[in-house]
Amino acid sequence: MKVLPSRPELRSEFAPASVMIEVDHVSQTFRTSGRQDHLALSDISLTIEDGAFVSILGPSGCGKSTLLYIVGGFVTPTEGEARVKGRAITGPGPDRGPVFQEFALFPWKTVLGNVMYGPRQQGVKSAEAEAQSRRLIEMVGLKGFENFYPKELSGGMKQRVALARTLAYHPAVLLMDEPFGALDAHTRTRLQNDLLNIWERDRKTVLFVTHSVDEAVFLSDKVVVMTRAPGRIKQIVDIELPRPRRRAELLLDPRYQKYVVEIERLIDDTSDDGVRP
Amino acid sequence: MMARALVSRLAPLLACLGLLAVWQAASLMLGTDSFPTAIEAIRAVPSILGDKESLINILASLRRMAIAFSAALLFAIPLGLMMGRSRLVASFFNPLLMITYPVPKAALMPIIMLWLGVGDLAKMLVIFLGVSLPVIYHSFQGAKAVEEKMLWSGAAMGLSAPQRMIRIVLPAALPEILTGCRTGLVLALITMVTSEMIARQSGAGNILFNALDMGQYDTVYAMIIIIGAMGIGFDAAFEKLRSRLVRWSEPGFDIPLSFA
Repeated sequence: MKVLPSRPELRSEFAPASVMIEVDHVSQTFRTSGRQDHLALSDISLTIEDGAFVSILGPSGCGKSTLLYIVGGFVTPTEGEARVKGRAITGPGPDRGPVFQEFALFPWKTVLGNVMYGPRQQGVKSAEAEAQSRRLIEMVGLKGFENFYPKELSGGMKQRVALARTLAYHPAVLLMDEPFGALDAHTRTRLQNDLLNIWERDRKTVLFVTHSVDEAVFLSDKVVVMTRAPGRIKQIVDIELPRPRRRAELLLDPRYQKYVVEIERLIDDTSDDGVRP
Repeated sequence: MMARALVSRLAPLLACLGLLAVWQAASLMLGTDSFPTAIEAIRAVPSILGDKESLINILASLRRMAIAFSAALLFAIPLGLMMGRSRLVASFFNPLLMITYPVPKAALMPIIMLWLGVGDLAKMLVIFLGVSLPVIYHSFQGAKAVEEKMLWSGAAMGLSAPQRMIRIVLPAALPEILTGCRTGLVLALITMVTSEMIARQSGAGNILFNALDMGQYDTVYAMIIIIGAMGIGFDAAFEKLRSRLVRWSEPGFDIPLSFA
């Protein structure tokens, strides 16, 4: 199961894209207070190429966030191994930057303080970190809010800060855990557009967990559809839609509509439990 | 409007004056020696504060209180934070705290005096115990409530576990810790006076009880006024410091802007 990026130059046969993330027969069992252990992920294998935008889609409780946490190094899999650039993942690291649905900003820091936190931790000089951070804050559309505290911001603004804070330490991979799940529909659409615009600039590898089919199709090169618990990969759908993508054009595009319908059918189909070859 | 604002600002002062008036009237009506009038008690305040001996006593009290309070914070905050983040540490210390919590710390004073004598050390230990428990408890609660994802974000930036403790758990739990410290500060004053009542050697509590023994009732009441004023003063000063340190978490500061 290979996931190729949409970057045309990397698609060429002569210059095969390098592998960024490998998930190798990963299973995850959680101890519950009851007698039975809960199998969250069952034998997941997945390869993600450098520069690919990959969404993991599935019903709630299918372990899609757990898979993201394993790649992040926040959770150690019960079985199997995950690798980033060929190295086994043993813990979190600045090469993989998370963005959470809960924002998880540092409330005692201002917007600027939050964004500067990573670069400062990486040893970037204060003045340089500040200049970089100010540029990033402007890029995510929050110029003028540098000295605001998280409490003073709306949900959409907080998520913009969280994105800037993660981009600030230049992770090779963005790990987005239902980042727009807590936002209202209008804000979500705006943030999806802005995320795509930002992503178009440097095409980082993105692993994006969502339960919204529209969101997954709109953003991704590949959509990994998962089954209900225990989470298995049911199918990987290539989204061959041109980039840069414009929402207004895409919504009218029959190819887009076909992908949405196809994936929705995959999710609804509970009789097939992912055992298909 | 102006008048109403003025009244609401003067309310605390008016309440104090009212209390003193009731005191004065009650004292005049009863007319016993052991209940001086408010004016007599207040008149005795400057003479206590002007007396070198008394001043040394009060300063000695404050010194013990300051040392014990600081030591308690240095001990209780790290312990509480570790309990909040480690199930093992919590399961070890929790039963100990549950046993010690309801015991009035002053009740331990006789035993402590047997071990450490009636000097500074015994009194400071009692204050230390009195302050530690609320601070441990609140630090524990604060650390426990820290969002896991916040720690993950820090870990992804490369913060090690001890760094996360100091640079994420500590500031994130600070509002809760300071609530514990505020309770601790008032308890420090209470245990300070209590310890000096039991081990009477020096201090503000000692002045009070000596005056009682000698039937100087105006001094007794004046000392109560002085100790009470110190309590109010410390609490107000600490509250000012607290609200400055955790301005970012204050309610009322919480007016989200409408902007995507």
